[in-house]
Amino acid sequence: MDANPQSTPMLRHILEEFDQCADLIFRSFPEIRTDIVYFPSIVDQKLFTDEILAPFAQVQLDEVEQLFQQSQFTRVTESKTVIEGILAGSAAIFHEKDIYLLNIYGPKTRDVQQSETETIISGPHDAFVESAITNISLIRQRIKSSHLKIKEYSVGEITKTSVYVLYIKDIANMKYVEELEKRIKRIEIDAINDGGMLTQFLEDSPNSVFPQFLTTERPDVAVSKLAAGRIITLIDNSPTALAAPSAFFEFFSSPDDYYERWALGTALRLLRYLALLITISFTAFYVSVTTYHYEMIPEALLRTLAESRNRVPFPPVYEALLMETMIELLREAGARLPTKIGQTIGIVGGIVIGQAAVQAGLTSNVLIIAVASSAIASFVIPSYMMSASIRLVRFGIIILAGIWGNIGIAMGVTLIVTHISSLTSLGSSYLTPVAPMVLGDWKDVFIRAPFTFLTRRPSQSQSPNPLRQIKRK
Amino acid sequence: MMEKLSPFHVAVLVYMSQIGIVVFALPRQLADYFGTNGWLVLLPGLLVTSFNIYLITLVHRLGDGKSVFEIMERSIPKAVLYPVYLGLCSVWLIFGCMIGKKYVLLFQMIAFPTTNPMLFKMAVDVLLFLLIIKGIFTISKAATFFFWMTFWMYFLLFWFLPSFSWVRLTPFILQGGHDQVKGALELYTAYLGYELSILLFPYMDKSKKSLAAIYAGNAFLSLLYICLSLVCFGFFSFGQLKKLLFPLLDLLGYIQFPFIERLENMLYGFFLFLILMTVAMYWWGALEAMRRVIPKLKIPVLAFLLTVISYCISFIPKTLDQVNNWILYLGYAATGIAFGLPVLLIALLLLQGRRVSRV
Repeated sequence: MDANPQSTPMLRHILEEFDQCADLIFRSFPEIRTDIVYFPSIVDQKLFTDEILAPFAQVQLDEVEQLFQQSQFTRVTESKTVIEGILAGSAAIFHEKDIYLLNIYGPKTRDVQQSETETIISGPHDAFVESAITNISLIRQRIKSSHLKIKEYSVGEITKTSVYVLYIKDIANMKYVEELEKRIKRIEIDAINDGGMLTQFLEDSPNSVFPQFLTTERPDVAVSKLAAGRIITLIDNSPTALAAPSAFFEFFSSPDDYYERWALGTALRLLRYLALLITISFTAFYVSVTTYHYEMIPEALLRTLAESRNRVPFPPVYEALLMETMIELLREAGARLPTKIGQTIGIVGGIVIGQAAVQAGLTSNVLIIAVASSAIASFVIPSYMMSASIRLVRFGIIILAGIWGNIGIAMGVTLIVTHISSLTSLGSSYLTPVAPMVLGDWKDVFIRAPFTFLTRRPSQSQSPNPLRQIKRK
Repeated sequence: MMEKLSPFHVAVLVYMSQIGIVVFALPRQLADYFGTNGWLVLLPGLLVTSFNIYLITLVHRLGDGKSVFEIMERSIPKAVLYPVYLGLCSVWLIFGCMIGKKYVLLFQMIAFPTTNPMLFKMAVDVLLFLLIIKGIFTISKAATFFFWMTFWMYFLLFWFLPSFSWVRLTPFILQGGHDQVKGALELYTAYLGYELSILLFPYMDKSKKSLAAIYAGNAFLSLLYICLSLVCFGFFSFGQLKKLLFPLLDLLGYIQFPFIERLENMLYGFFLFLILMTVAMYWWGALEAMRRVIPKLKIPVLAFLLTVISYCISFIPKTLDQVNNWILYLGYAATGIAFGLPVLLIALLLLQGRRVSRV
């Protein structure tokens, strides 16, 4: 590498810094006494040609200074800034004693596709991708307002991952923005790889099983959260956006609710709360009743239940745990395998559990119904994180039901309620709008009232501008 | 974080600390002590409790919402106050503990006759410990959540309307009872819990609505008691009601669905939420009093010690009868505190006011 003699000390230092980085390119333009250093892997090749190659080929030595006066060239002096710039996708241009950075960042990214984890029936189908800039563009396309503010931070000593905090000025409460900012700045770690990982550094109680930041891959959800006065955090190289502050009940709403007729949206929401109830209690209740409270089963049903259980050699709690574990294994295997094989696993597993286990006398078919209903119900919950948390908690309730029957279930529920009562999201109550009680918010939490009634932003966001629409008279 | 308890939460807290184990036996006690149409006695009960709450609100008004402990400490030397605090703590702690023990014994009687009740008691105490260490705001949130989780149960009373008969109420009023004074004192424990609202002053809004919320919580409870007792008097015959140990459980036992019956087994689990909140509030009161005596001890440590002490004490009464006796006597003491504490505080506040005006 033959460097321009006048800028040698700095250039040499930069090249030493990137020693053994095979993907680094160093190009020299001796006629205009200019050298360029950049990573072709993270720059946009077209931009490189248009902004650097083409002008440099045409320009004369005496015109170079003038060229660098253009605003896209940023003059820098410190070597640290130059290194950071090159790593962030800029080309470092060394001309005589001066150094300029030109941002030509353009890494290879996945095209915007449908979300795999948050599929919906009606409504926009685009989903976030790994590039934060693309994700921001998906949001900007939807919010054409100068009030949409974006703050950028760098997290991770090695990865230097960009984290963006998005909020709408005058709608979001700055108290939350500042709190989130404080928490982001506090993170000291070598690498952050995903939004899910970042959440655990930002949440109020990272050890809790329940997620306190709502995660989404859908830009329309992110936009609706921003409009509600919440704050969105995007992280580069992750399709996951984090919304905060969030409440427990928020995890049970889906964007579909607003795209359907209100009656349908309401019915769906109620269905999801029913699903929560079934997920948590159905299998546990089966265990409780068949272990301790047979008297609760009406006579006609008792015979069926007794027949289905008479060949099973285990106590109901073992039987239930066995089946629940089996379902979880199937679910996990289905999630890890390619889609086509995943489906096969589902069918094979379904047959094994549904028929063979019953015929072999390992389990009763009533339990199969209970376990399957619980599993199906758990997938009705729109947030994958919340659904996974609830499935995990369910195991505890089943064990408690096996130990002490109905009172065990009640104790388990008490534990959960006590725990979630103490949780906060960015310092605001996780149980909003139940505690603190805000009856006005119920119409957009437990039901989805017609839009004419949804005039205010949720109380949890403590928006300085709480009115979201003017009521028609 | 909730900075202040809103009036709604105050009302829910008051109601949730009041409703407890007594509700199972209340209609029988009314029938037994006061005779026919004994449910009418609940109306003067509401008046007396409302008067007591009036005294409490007077403390709030005169003391400008200050903590009751601060008011006492301003006029009375700590050496004198410590035994008072210890007394308050003991009564509230053991009263709560016995309520928990009675629930556990009842549950053992219904579903687990061979299990050691102290095992259940330990589990309940662990839950209570986890709840009280989180402080009054978490207790309030949990109380509100439990309130809504149990709210639907009131609608079960409609189930009995087709079988309700006015004839069973009889045209006689308060005939066939005995020991009315003893009965009245015993029944008063059904209302207890509202007196703890005096400790909520520093945590609630200073508005009139918060004080009204205490009345509202108590009124809601009274309304519930009246509805429940009325249904029991009209569903069971008077003679039958007198003989039923826990009429509420028998009442719930009548509910049948095609896929489930003997609902009392399940609903008894729901009552855990109500009882837990009652005990949690009493224990929180005990904890608040003890914190004044040993302010340097961390709350979880103090709460743990109190929980262990109460657990050990709960070994003493073995049978349901013994527990009932403990509840009865501690109920007298708690009633005494309910009236005595506000009266003492009013007297102190008047004295303090006079001293200030002289200065």
